[in-house]
Amino acid sequence: MPTVNDFEKALTPTWCPGCGNFGMWRALKEALEELGWAYEDFAVVWGIGCHGNGADFLNCQGFHTLHGRALPVATGIALSNPDLHVIVEMGDGDGYGIGGNHFIHSCRRNVRMTAIAHNNQIYGLTTGQASPTSDQFMKTPSTPGGVVEEPVNPVGVAVAQGATFVARGFAGDIPHLKELYKEAVAHDGFALVDVFQPCVTWNKVNTFSWFRDRVYKLEETEGYDPTDRTMAFEQSMKTFHELTCAPDECRVPIGVFYREEGSFTYQDGLPQLDRPAFKRAYEPRDVSEAMERFG
Amino acid sequence: MAERNAPGELRVRIGGEAGFGIKAAGQTLARVFASTGLWTFDLTEYPSLIRGGHNNYLLRVGPERLYSHAEGVDVLVALNRETVDLHLDELVDGAAVIFDPDETSTDGWLPSNRIRPVPVPLTKYAREAGGKIMRNTVALGAVLALVHFPLEPLIESLRRQFAHKSPEVAEQNAAAATVGYQYVARMAPDFFLTIEPVEDAAPRVLVDGNEAVALGAAAAGIGFYAAYPMTPATSILHFMAGHGRDMGIVVKHTEDELAAINMVCGAAFTGARAMCATSGGGFALMNEGFGQAGVSESAIVVNVATRPGPATGMPTWTEQSDLLHVIHAAQGEFPRVVLAPGDRTQAFELAWQAFNLADRLQTPVVILTDSYLAENRAAVPPFDLDAVTIDRGKLVAEGDIADHADALHEDGRYLRYRVTDDGVSIRALPGVTGAQQVVNSYEHDEYGYGQRGEIAAERVAQNEKRMRKLDLARTLVPGPVRFGAEPAEADVAVLCWGSTVGPLREAVAQLAEEGVGVAAMQVVTVWPFPAEEVCGFMGAASRTMVVEGNLTGQLERLIREHCLRAPDRSLHRYDGRPFSPERIVAGIKEVL
Repeated sequence: MPTVNDFEKALTPTWCPGCGNFGMWRALKEALEELGWAYEDFAVVWGIGCHGNGADFLNCQGFHTLHGRALPVATGIALSNPDLHVIVEMGDGDGYGIGGNHFIHSCRRNVRMTAIAHNNQIYGLTTGQASPTSDQFMKTPSTPGGVVEEPVNPVGVAVAQGATFVARGFAGDIPHLKELYKEAVAHDGFALVDVFQPCVTWNKVNTFSWFRDRVYKLEETEGYDPTDRTMAFEQSMKTFHELTCAPDECRVPIGVFYREEGSFTYQDGLPQLDRPAFKRAYEPRDVSEAMERFG
Repeated sequence: MAERNAPGELRVRIGGEAGFGIKAAGQTLARVFASTGLWTFDLTEYPSLIRGGHNNYLLRVGPERLYSHAEGVDVLVALNRETVDLHLDELVDGAAVIFDPDETSTDGWLPSNRIRPVPVPLTKYAREAGGKIMRNTVALGAVLALVHFPLEPLIESLRRQFAHKSPEVAEQNAAAATVGYQYVARMAPDFFLTIEPVEDAAPRVLVDGNEAVALGAAAAGIGFYAAYPMTPATSILHFMAGHGRDMGIVVKHTEDELAAINMVCGAAFTGARAMCATSGGGFALMNEGFGQAGVSESAIVVNVATRPGPATGMPTWTEQSDLLHVIHAAQGEFPRVVLAPGDRTQAFELAWQAFNLADRLQTPVVILTDSYLAENRAAVPPFDLDAVTIDRGKLVAEGDIADHADALHEDGRYLRYRVTDDGVSIRALPGVTGAQQVVNSYEHDEYGYGQRGEIAAERVAQNEKRMRKLDLARTLVPGPVRFGAEPAEADVAVLCWGSTVGPLREAVAQLAEEGVGVAAMQVVTVWPFPAEEVCGFMGAASRTMVVEGNLTGQLERLIREHCLRAPDRSLHRYDGRPFSPERIVAGIKEVL
């Protein structure tokens, strides 16, 4: 089965030195190696953004789609070939901004697939404008007076909207992130892993050291129950409002916020997904009965 | 006052408020006639609302094949007064108006020396049979009695139609139809029209364009269908969803049209035969995804059923105003095929062929229809299911890509976008061993790497490779359909596309009877544009004309561009209504 080195048999990454995407790339390759999948067992779908350039850097069977449309393309794959694991790589502007509608509906749809969000709280590839997850009052070229809007709370939205596995990782903690990925792909339903992935070039606020000073692990937190949806939502709200505070005033949780096992997945309602859809086009389908109804 | 129709023909209009079950009643009547060997063509007009407003259904019935609706009404079933007011002018001399004297006042239109009033206590009889809702059914019985047609086929049809509800409802409807029939048979036995069943007629099916497209897609082995509801394409979603389990089709009603076309691209990536359908507004939202299918070389089929635009436009009416939109949709340059069926049989055939074209060309194929075709049923011969073939082109669906040397680089790696003479590369599905690839919305190199697509030589090679597929397409797509006189001998040569071919066909036949020779051409594949055939047809004729349902002359613009000449005249309609044969006859006579 392919190893980390095999997955690297593609182009050499062009991300900025120190970019958080390197940590996410590493964690994914290690997770894939440990999962023991063959190349033909899974497909990866990318949106557009710095994260999306990663399509050139991972040797796999993948689809580099449009800005904001990774989730529906991935849904089309998942709902037409049950033999493929589907992993989505999307950005914060990509997945929560221009693709926000798909994000909401993917959460409630519970299609068996994994969405990984590269959340750097900034538009990197278009040179540093505010993203939907930028902190309020952050000054950027598109918001010289500071961001007015509340940031999108992806974990809270996902929990509220019915996602059955919601986690948050940090690109600066690769072993922890790798385990989150493995849990997410093993989950039977829609899994979101929102990953804080500092942009070293454009986001001078939410840096690696900013996060290192603040992150803590939910699984090491006494009393935290990731099967309690209300608790997960409260936790997401707290996090969301504390991002601009000083390290001693607030902490940023990472880990599994919410997990619901045994939920009804979208695929569970599709007995016609007993085989890949391409196998239904070997021969013309006999539609004589359907046509006779119009007789 | 309209002209009387051809012998043996009947035109019935049923009108009333939305929610009265106008279309359902009309289609029952159409089934009765079609099942007894007659040909039918219907035209439903309805506003974009669920209750209230004026709905009406026009049914044309005849002993010969019908290709369109026609003007003039022999029998008007007025379920309210508004129907009388709106349609009085359409009545032929001696036409009957079936109405309920308890509900519809006769002030202002009766007495009349040219109208045959047929007052029937529809509501009273319906209530006696079991409920007011069945007054349509009473009226259907009345219509059949009026034209001296037997009642039994209607009773049989109602029993079949309501069998799944309950035997009681079926019997109530049968009783309602019978009382309406008996009442009118006694009261108006001498109506001028007599319609007779045809003995031993060949079987036929009663379908609209959407149903034909859906059947064609189903026959082609569609495995994935996604759509956001939009008139007039919505009923395809209902067909697909209704048959999802028994036919093995995954059907997704998506959050928006962007999701629909992107899901279709994802499904096509796995090798599913995949389609979405929408109208012009939804297709506008799909544009970027459509371009993605072009550059990523995804084999997808999109059905665009036009309604009058722009923006929300006139949702339930018809127009042919999306031709240039569809041909030019999405930024950049990439090959596409646009097929414009003109009738239900073509809609079925082009639908299944669209999937073969998409697979052969690995590029998006559009089936372009409009409300007139999409939502109106006609009796047609059963579709030729035996003719359906599946050609998936250069597809490797299973196994190991190492067994396909043509698909590999010298280094042994798979080249998803290998540059080839015909522009088509070997497409290996995810799941095929060794077929690592990046299917890409970015420009890319032969492996699919986006970063290397920025290299000038790679860009040129991929851009030209894709566009070469259009040359291949020209050898695969159906050509124009010709009918009528030879252009060199004709008084006028007329070009059309899409659903306008129906009324044009009828107009050409009528004019031939009057000694006017019309050569006609329907452009079926509108892209790639069949310049050779169209320009040759134009060049052979002494006088040319284009008939199309839009304001600016969209087919005409293509003709000007490709043939470097303009038609002598053009006939347009853009009020939301389809051309009638009468309107085209009048338009052609003006040219002569």
